[in-house]
Amino acid sequence: MNREELIGVLKLIIEPYTTNNESFGNLNEETDFINDLQINSANLVDIVLDIEEKFDIVIDNADMERMLNVRAAVEIIEFKLSEQ
Amino acid sequence: MIGNDVIDLVQSRKESNWRRPGLIPKLFDVNEQLLISNSEDPEIAIWVLWSMKEAAYKIWHRYTRVRKYIPKKLVCSLVTQCNNSAAGEVTCGRRTFYTTTQLSQGIIHTVAVDNLGNLNHVAEIERDRIFKDYYGIPYIIIEGQQDVSPASVSNHGRIEKAVAILKPNLHFF
Repeated sequence: MNREELIGVLKLIIEPYTTNNESFGNLNEETDFINDLQINSANLVDIVLDIEEKFDIVIDNADMERMLNVRAAVEIIEFKLSEQ
Repeated sequence: MIGNDVIDLVQSRKESNWRRPGLIPKLFDVNEQLLISNSEDPEIAIWVLWSMKEAAYKIWHRYTRVRKYIPKKLVCSLVTQCNNSAAGEVTCGRRTFYTTTQLSQGIIHTVAVDNLGNLNHVAEIERDRIFKDYYGIPYIIIEGQQDVSPASVSNHGRIEKAVAILKPNLHFF
């Protein structure tokens, strides 16, 4: 899966928790989950759990700490997949 | 410094499934999980603890200017609790924050301070009194005083709460 495909999968995961449709339409690696997409911080954990299930990876606390934007999420997923 | 967090249970029931497998261990440490599982109302317990973490995080963020998703590093303990209120502490590393939480009509509201004595001086204020500094940190201007006072605002679902530390004016003479 290349980065573009990965972001495509990530978008499907993120969409249900997004409240800012305009920012979601312009989603890119710089997009911030809370500041741009206005995702409730209590739902960030749902995104983490969805990513774990979808990619069959485990995201530990250290990774979760920086999972605040698309770029960090993509980097974490790519790294975890490369370890498999 | 002050931070607050409000949770509307009507909204949280739409947005979050707290029973989701794997969710609680990602957010809460072992002692917090015990508080939840021993609670008569686990849903309320979860959101009380979550609002404590969020309110304390606001202060932590204002000091450090660091943004992180660190719910498990914000460690909660309850000092007193009854049906409609709770008092507690949140530690994050070497910092300790003191919290009070009120529950009323499906609304949970927690206020955190880093100086215990300031808990007595927390007041709800009008949202439009709040200004933000260059870094986006909210404060209010106190009439008749040279200084500004830290403030915090939170909104969720049906509710918005703005609070500030309002110390009594000691200049009587």
